[in-house]
Amino acid sequence: MNFVALKMLFGDRAKYLMLLAGLTFSTMLIVQQGSIFWGLMTWSQSGITNINAPVWVTDPNINQVEEIKPLADTAVNVVRSVPGVEWAVPLYKGVQRARLRDGNYEQIALVGIDSSTLIGRPHTIIEGRIEDLRAPDTVAIDQLAVQRLGGPDRMHLGTTFEVNDHLVKVAAIVQAQKSFQNFPFVYTTYERALGITPQVRRKLSYVLASPVEGVSPEELARRIHEHTGLGAFTEEQFGWKTVQWILKNTGIGVNFGTTVLLGFVVGMAIAGQTFYLFTIENLRQFGALKAIGASTGMLARMILLQSFTVGLIGYGLGIGLATLFGLTTARGGRLPFVETWPLLVGVGVALLMICSLSSAISIRKLAKLEPAVVFRG
Amino acid sequence: MMFRRLSVWLAFAGVLLTIATLWGARDKPVAPPPMERPPHNPYLSTVAAAGIIEAANENVRIAPPVSGLVTKVHVKVASHVQKGDPLFQLDDRELRAQLQTQTDSLPSAAARIAEQDIRLRDLQEQLRRLQSVKDRRAVSEDDVQRKWHEAEVAKRALIRSRADLRLAQTQRDEVQANLDRLTVQAPRAGTILQVNIREGEYATVNTNEPLLLLGDIETFQVRADIDEVNAPLVVPGSPAVAYLKGRTEQAISLTFDRIEPYIVPKRSLTGDNSERVDTRVLQIIYQFEKPTFPIYVGQQVDVFIDREANPE
Repeated sequence: MNFVALKMLFGDRAKYLMLLAGLTFSTMLIVQQGSIFWGLMTWSQSGITNINAPVWVTDPNINQVEEIKPLADTAVNVVRSVPGVEWAVPLYKGVQRARLRDGNYEQIALVGIDSSTLIGRPHTIIEGRIEDLRAPDTVAIDQLAVQRLGGPDRMHLGTTFEVNDHLVKVAAIVQAQKSFQNFPFVYTTYERALGITPQVRRKLSYVLASPVEGVSPEELARRIHEHTGLGAFTEEQFGWKTVQWILKNTGIGVNFGTTVLLGFVVGMAIAGQTFYLFTIENLRQFGALKAIGASTGMLARMILLQSFTVGLIGYGLGIGLATLFGLTTARGGRLPFVETWPLLVGVGVALLMICSLSSAISIRKLAKLEPAVVFRG
Repeated sequence: MMFRRLSVWLAFAGVLLTIATLWGARDKPVAPPPMERPPHNPYLSTVAAAGIIEAANENVRIAPPVSGLVTKVHVKVASHVQKGDPLFQLDDRELRAQLQTQTDSLPSAAARIAEQDIRLRDLQEQLRRLQSVKDRRAVSEDDVQRKWHEAEVAKRALIRSRADLRLAQTQRDEVQANLDRLTVQAPRAGTILQVNIREGEYATVNTNEPLLLLGDIETFQVRADIDEVNAPLVVPGSPAVAYLKGRTEQAISLTFDRIEPYIVPKRSLTGDNSERVDTRVLQIIYQFEKPTFPIYVGQQVDVFIDREANPE
């Protein structure tokens, strides 16, 4: 029986391709939009993921990572006094202006990391040595800064530029995840960042902390909040806080949500309609099957087999195309594009729903089918 | 039959490509390990503080007793001095001249005493002789009386001359004392940490910068700043460890000395010297023995103070 069902499906080449195209593009649209959305969300968290520290301590009312509410600089030692803290180091983070040799200005995200441990430094060093940050007036810039500040010909190791009227020298070129605001990252030591930035009363942006063995980051964040009254979040919590803030305060969520929904509806419309036509056309064959004794349940199974088969093939093609799109256009981080397993599973479930719903219409038709239809005109 | 379709193979290819891509991008990069071990707390629970190394018993800021020209600096940075060793010399020519004058006036005063003494003895001799004449007609009572008065005046004059000599001596001693004061001496044994005065410069009494900074660099102490928020957590007498910035492998164990009873506004130790009056800190003084590795007065340390298991 299953063989017959598949034969019926693949037999009508035009309808099969139509059906496949609808499902493929529906899948591709949802996956591609979903990935771009998640890519944007990843970029929005890059301030956190680039630093890669287990627990972030800051003002309890903070909304997102780029919104900096500095602490008094004794906060580092207050956090160190909390039981369960393995280490705690200061972090400076802020947007500053870099002035180039030719007089152009560029906004940069200045990151000041603890000078002795260099905790928070980027994990991939493209050129130079990150230890050289300990030398006077040095910074490490990311690949985006190289592009923005004049390209690899002009920005290389040893190039000097000004940050807030302080001359700095490039000691290393590192790889960092692009940020939502798209400011290049410039790393330096905490003390130097304090020296470079303008005078304000408080400058300590964040305290980074790590739990001792046996204490989870969640537990540590809870303890720090309890003992000090400061806001403490794990990397994930802080990332979600940032994502939530963006979804709430920008139209990004609604935009992408609409597109994904549209993909779903269009996919369902095409698939449903084509499948229905497909069933109508094969009504005589189904009638014959019913006439030789096939039950409605069996026919329904055949229909579901057909729709799931084409659905899975469409899914495979769709995610393949979306991945290909990601690999070609988003290469080198030019476009935010991050495919994730949950997205793929979700799209798979959505696609099976599309298939089930569209076959439901056909099954309803078959249930009412009289075997006698075979013998009519 | 199904597997003769190109679309099926393409679908497989698509799934494989996606899985391969996602598998490759699956790993979150591991945080690079700290360049060196961050200062970490060796106790069950702790109060952490920022500290600065000082010479034990605080540093002595040497100032001149009076303003004046510096003619000689006897010490260099890092010289060891004993109590009473000369440190620097102020210009003393004027006082030396005065001393000479005073000294030279002494023989004259002494000679005057001798002179008065001889005169007194002469008068007493005359008086004795007048009194020894029994015949009232030969010597008038008036003469005797006058001689007696003369002798008495001479006695007082001798006393005054002696006092004059003592005064002259005292005046000479005063000049000598003032002169001695111009040689500034070490108030206690120690090491010269800073020299901010050169020969030929004029030292004034009221300067912010000490002319010399004297400290004991054989035994150090750590002044640990604790945020006032954490001040109630400190148990007096608790042991502590300190880590030098840039040398976190070896902890320096500290012994409690005292808690400064007055909470002071934080002096920023973290590189920025702008005033921040919103934070006040409790200062605790810890003593420690000089470790085997080099250590310098003024270095910053991270301090962890043992906090006995507080009832949570």
